[in-house]
Amino acid sequence: MTPLATHEVSADTPTSQTDARTARAQGLRRLVDGTPVLQLVVLIIVFIIAATTISGFLSKSSIYSVLVLAAFLGIAAAGQTLVILIGGLDLSVASIISAADLVAPVLMGAHWSPGIAIPVVIIGGAAIGALNGFIVRRWRVSPLIVTLAMGGIVYGVALAGTDSGLKPGIMPEWLTRFSSPIGTTFGIGIPPVVIAWAVLAIVLGVVLHRTITGRRVYATGANQRAADLAGISTLRVWVGAFALSGAVAAATGVLLDGFISAASTGAGSPYMFTSLAAVVVGGTSLVGARGDYWRTVLGALILTLITTILIGHGAGEALEEAAYGFLILVFVGVYGRERRVRDQV
Amino acid sequence: MVRTLRAFAGWRMGFAVTFGVGLFIANVIVTPSFVTGGQLAVSAGTLAPFALAAMASTPAFLSGGGGIDLSITPLMALSNIVLVTGLLGTTLGTPLLAIPLLLIMGALVGATNGIIIARFRFPPVIATLGMFFMLSGLDLALVPNPVTAPHAWIDSLADTIGPVPGALLTIGVPLLIWGVLRRTPLVSKILSVGDNAPASFSAGVNVDAVRILAYSIGGLLAALGGIALSGLIQSADTTSYTGYTVSALAAVALGGTNLAGGRGGLLPSAVGAVCIYLLDNLLTGLNVSSDYVQVAYGAVLVVAVVLGTAVINRSRAVLA
Repeated sequence: MTPLATHEVSADTPTSQTDARTARAQGLRRLVDGTPVLQLVVLIIVFIIAATTISGFLSKSSIYSVLVLAAFLGIAAAGQTLVILIGGLDLSVASIISAADLVAPVLMGAHWSPGIAIPVVIIGGAAIGALNGFIVRRWRVSPLIVTLAMGGIVYGVALAGTDSGLKPGIMPEWLTRFSSPIGTTFGIGIPPVVIAWAVLAIVLGVVLHRTITGRRVYATGANQRAADLAGISTLRVWVGAFALSGAVAAATGVLLDGFISAASTGAGSPYMFTSLAAVVVGGTSLVGARGDYWRTVLGALILTLITTILIGHGAGEALEEAAYGFLILVFVGVYGRERRVRDQV
Repeated sequence: MVRTLRAFAGWRMGFAVTFGVGLFIANVIVTPSFVTGGQLAVSAGTLAPFALAAMASTPAFLSGGGGIDLSITPLMALSNIVLVTGLLGTTLGTPLLAIPLLLIMGALVGATNGIIIARFRFPPVIATLGMFFMLSGLDLALVPNPVTAPHAWIDSLADTIGPVPGALLTIGVPLLIWGVLRRTPLVSKILSVGDNAPASFSAGVNVDAVRILAYSIGGLLAALGGIALSGLIQSADTTSYTGYTVSALAAVALGGTNLAGGRGGLLPSAVGAVCIYLLDNLLTGLNVSSDYVQVAYGAVLVVAVVLGTAVINRSRAVLA
């Protein structure tokens, strides 16, 4: 008997006992898939662990530090969320962050006012992302390979153009205050970058859930061919999602300039894995079309808290990476697994 | 004439071979010492670990289903570290014991990747990226600072063993074995699963086992690459592999292996690696900054992938 036939038989004659069990399993499945309840529970647990085992964690300054670091990660992963929703993957995020981090101060040092230099860097990031999306969708090539290669190109050019970051640059003081955990927004004692992140989260959430653009993103991720036939230009959706990813990556690079008060080589490299991890841990499925940006916000908070706990207990870089790897495997196990080959027949 | 041209266009390695010959000629013009003065064995020794990294990356692509193995390079470093700091100088340090031990270790790591991907249905990018980070963490924990290797048999791997260049063994033997296996159902099953997994499943192929096998072969070749790397750098070093990750993928794509699975082999990847090596050599000979060498790798990768996909789509259209 072929496996296919076995399936048909069991579907035709279910016993009442297995019926009840599958109903309960499906109910749990729907809860975990439909709401970020798992993420909230994990977030609360890691917060309690941090609060009880790290002395001084509950002070205002250390909470703001965590929020600022989470904001960098959350902003960097915003485009990645959209790219994963449409069924792609962007591995150029880290390189674009590093490149923007190097280039922005040099442009400002070359007598460009920050009001021109920073938008130019962000638009440049968007253009690189748009090119990624265009190449991938137009020629149906693996997004993984194209974005990895494009990242290498962009970072190489940025290194060569800035003498590996040694070319002198200028950092406006307001940028440092913008990214600082002790910064204030219009007199309110909340760091501006955290406010910016919250605004981004609200805007992206509304766009994804309440606008036609959002519908197009989910439709493209669910079934590219059906979306195309329904009159959606999936090429435009791909170009747009990757362009956003490039733009927010470039913006993160500029924000990191402010945070460290200097350009540094490889500033973006931690974000290659974590921008992906924040999305996946948030519960957005790598298969596409399931998830949203608010989940990524939770993912960014969870990952930043875990890093804080590991650093607080003196764990090295090696253990930190291993912990990320483990977490990703657990969450992908819940959300992102592929179909059995026998179900694809 | 037209028929010859058409046959050439249909030959998967055609592009890489043409490109490689052109690069070789350019190299000879720019640095004549490239072919004279007994440099060839040393050049091949420099090429060997990189060529093996490209070859090790290939089976994961061949097995399809979005297959990719990003953990090849830190696994090479692990093999290098275990050989230099753990095996050399002990009773296990003889080639006849050390080489099989390392190959088994590599195959086991590869099999772990394969099991996570095939049995537990994790996307290959995630599984192998996770493995990449776990292995690099392990590498860093084992050797925080580079350790110099004792003088041993590995020295001759990057030079000559008697009259034979050592690289001829490290690259040639796996190519030969793969060439023999190609005539057996083993390799054709990998290609069949890569081309169409549901159809292979329906035809009775154990898709999971074939994919696990493909990742194991990749891990085994990575361990061999680590041995060749030890011969080249004469030390245990965690930073030695960072340059290989993107360029090894570029070599696979350039060689003409279909990154979506089902078509390609180890020889095309080795040819692709030779091209990348010659390109690197040429740019260095022209005093181009190493930053731009990275740019060139990326550009080659994008162009090769786009051209490769265009060729595949055309041949599919002809078939349909």
